Amino acid sequence: MAEPVLRVVDFKVSFNTVDGVVRAVDGVSYEVYPRETLGVVGESGSGKSVTVLGVMGLLPKPAGKIDGGEVWLEGENILNLSDKAMQDVRGNKMAMVFQDPMTSLNPVFTVGDQIAEALQIHNKKMSNADAKARTIELLGAVGVAQPETRFDQYPHEYSGGMRQRAMIAMAIANDPPLIIADEPTTALDVTIQAQVVEVFKEIQNRTSSGLVLITHDLGLIAELADRVVVMYGGKVVETGTVDQIFHEPRHPYTLGLIMSLPRMDQQMKRLRPIPGQPPSLINLPSGCSFHPRCSMSGGRAMCRDEVPTLYPVSDDGHASACWYHTEVAHELEIEAALTGIEYSDGKLGGA
Amino acid sequence: MGNSVAPEHTAESGTVAPAEEGILEVKDLKVHFPIMAGLRRHQVATVHAVDGVTFDLRRGETLGLVGESGCGKSTTARAVLRLNNITDGTVAYKGVDITRAKRRQMQPIRKEMQVVFQDPYASLNPRMTVSDIISEPLKVHKIGTKQSRLDAAAQLLETVQLSPEHGNRYPHEFSGGQRQRIGVARALALEPEVMILDEPVSALDVSIQAQVINLLQQIQDDFGLSYLFIAHDLSVVRHISDRVAVMYLGKIVEIATREELFERPAHPYTVALLSAVPIAEPRGRDDRNPIVLEGDVPTPVNPPSGCRFRTRCWKAQAICAEEEPELIDRGQGHPVACYFPEVEFAEEVPTTSPKLETSE
Repeated sequence: MAEPVLRVVDFKVSFNTVDGVVRAVDGVSYEVYPRETLGVVGESGSGKSVTVLGVMGLLPKPAGKIDGGEVWLEGENILNLSDKAMQDVRGNKMAMVFQDPMTSLNPVFTVGDQIAEALQIHNKKMSNADAKARTIELLGAVGVAQPETRFDQYPHEYSGGMRQRAMIAMAIANDPPLIIADEPTTALDVTIQAQVVEVFKEIQNRTSSGLVLITHDLGLIAELADRVVVMYGGKVVETGTVDQIFHEPRHPYTLGLIMSLPRMDQQMKRLRPIPGQPPSLINLPSGCSFHPRCSMSGGRAMCRDEVPTLYPVSDDGHASACWYHTEVAHELEIEAALTGIEYSDGKLGGA
Repeated sequence: MGNSVAPEHTAESGTVAPAEEGILEVKDLKVHFPIMAGLRRHQVATVHAVDGVTFDLRRGETLGLVGESGCGKSTTARAVLRLNNITDGTVAYKGVDITRAKRRQMQPIRKEMQVVFQDPYASLNPRMTVSDIISEPLKVHKIGTKQSRLDAAAQLLETVQLSPEHGNRYPHEFSGGQRQRIGVARALALEPEVMILDEPVSALDVSIQAQVINLLQQIQDDFGLSYLFIAHDLSVVRHISDRVAVMYLGKIVEIATREELFERPAHPYTVALLSAVPIAEPRGRDDRNPIVLEGDVPTPVNPPSGCRFRTRCWKAQAICAEEEPELIDRGQGHPVACYFPEVEFAEEVPTTSPKLETSE
């Protein structure tokens, strides 16, 4: 297998707040390969966004602090780079698309100027005419109609979907080997989201970049991701291929997410919500932080006292941080019967 | 999409069988907002937020109202509650026209028609205790004594699966899902018959969203409520609704039972909308061909002539620009506002040359 574009190892981030130290990311490891889309799912406060902000060197200072771990981008550990060197890396070797297209563009410059700026910052020799030509080409590539006219327009003249396209154009401007998209379609309407999803598929086909897609929307994950990382309480609780995560989940939290999701493709008898509330990061439960909400824990001492580590459940990379992951298949059968989701032979949706 | 659904599943959807009687009847509802400009604040244009909407809400049913932002679904809800002015058309509650009802005439009706808003952070007063928030509607309507109202609040907290001890706390001490439960408890205080739920779960995490959906279904069963459920999330609407109305730019373009709408959508906009929703099923994703609409929703200030969807529709013909299609049954078994509705829902990418299946 090729070398990963991005390899995050045992990454730890904490925030100093008035209420105490918050361990937002606590020992997260994952890697992204070229041409691959890694989906990162989790609820608010799971640490999915903070991880990538740390990777990008964009943690709010001085509150946010990296407590440990390594971040390897194309074979280089970028955690020790100076701020100046990181500026060269950002936009050039990795780029980010944020959730809110309304606030991530500068309202007083034209969209074209902002994309051209991203090009010229990393390529000082590029002439204005070349930058413009390339920008128009990029706008066309992300599906902005009449890119020549659109080049000279300001962000307020763009609709939400168009702004997100412009952000994507900016992110892919320098052909970075890594693109990170944090909730890129959450602020968009369904039909506009479909347009942006098409743009991402185009990018997947055309470039060899690795894509990290962060979202709470399991539908989007199922549509775009090759592999998935599920996060809870600042840790990775399960990782596997998109098919494994949706059909053979081996962590009760992943199972809970799937069973609590109303579906477009099946009429469920009822939803099976995960009881309780997401944990407070200041005061995480002992042992497995999911155990107070877990349907399988049943007050077992192991769940309460010992922090589970990611343990391989197959030899192709599927791993679960549950002490009792071997019981999840049985739990799956029970839950499938209650929700009405198809199930057979240890898997959802038939063999 | 299009997995066949076993009928026994849908029968167990958790709502009482809808009677054919309309508890709420909305006819040709129009809500227009003026755009003012200049020193004298004269009107320069009009926002046609809701422009001729007709539907009825039947006793004990859940009617889902879906559409994208700016389509007028929330404005419709607010107009039904008389929270904004109605430009034209009528709203009747239990057969009584309330379109022009005075404040005092509205008061007894407000008791029976309650609302839950989207944002559980903005819709609860941060300076009031939870008990005071929940019992306030009783106070406003001068029902009971102070003690009986507090008792009622404690009981309501249990109804929404919170603990009565939570009553002395303030909203900021609760998570989003718990706050939404408080909002539901407040709406239930006056024992309403109709609940208008405006995006009640959109702001919540997936696992919490399911808790609130189940709670809403439980309450509907227990108290026999009728729900007008407004949402943009089609999978949630599919799960909870008995019937669904699809709105586009101030109009209802299609209205049908849940099965009809999701299995046999007829309006091109509905077809496109359903195909655009990402499905939480990775298998077969490369074979799915979502219909990707071009462009954005036009402005409601100056909506297109004729059919409002024609500017993005792959089937549009000359007639679509000339005359507005009525919302009538064109052989689909349910009303559709389109001259060229889908006869049967085929999973295919639309071609540039539109099919000419006039069923009129």
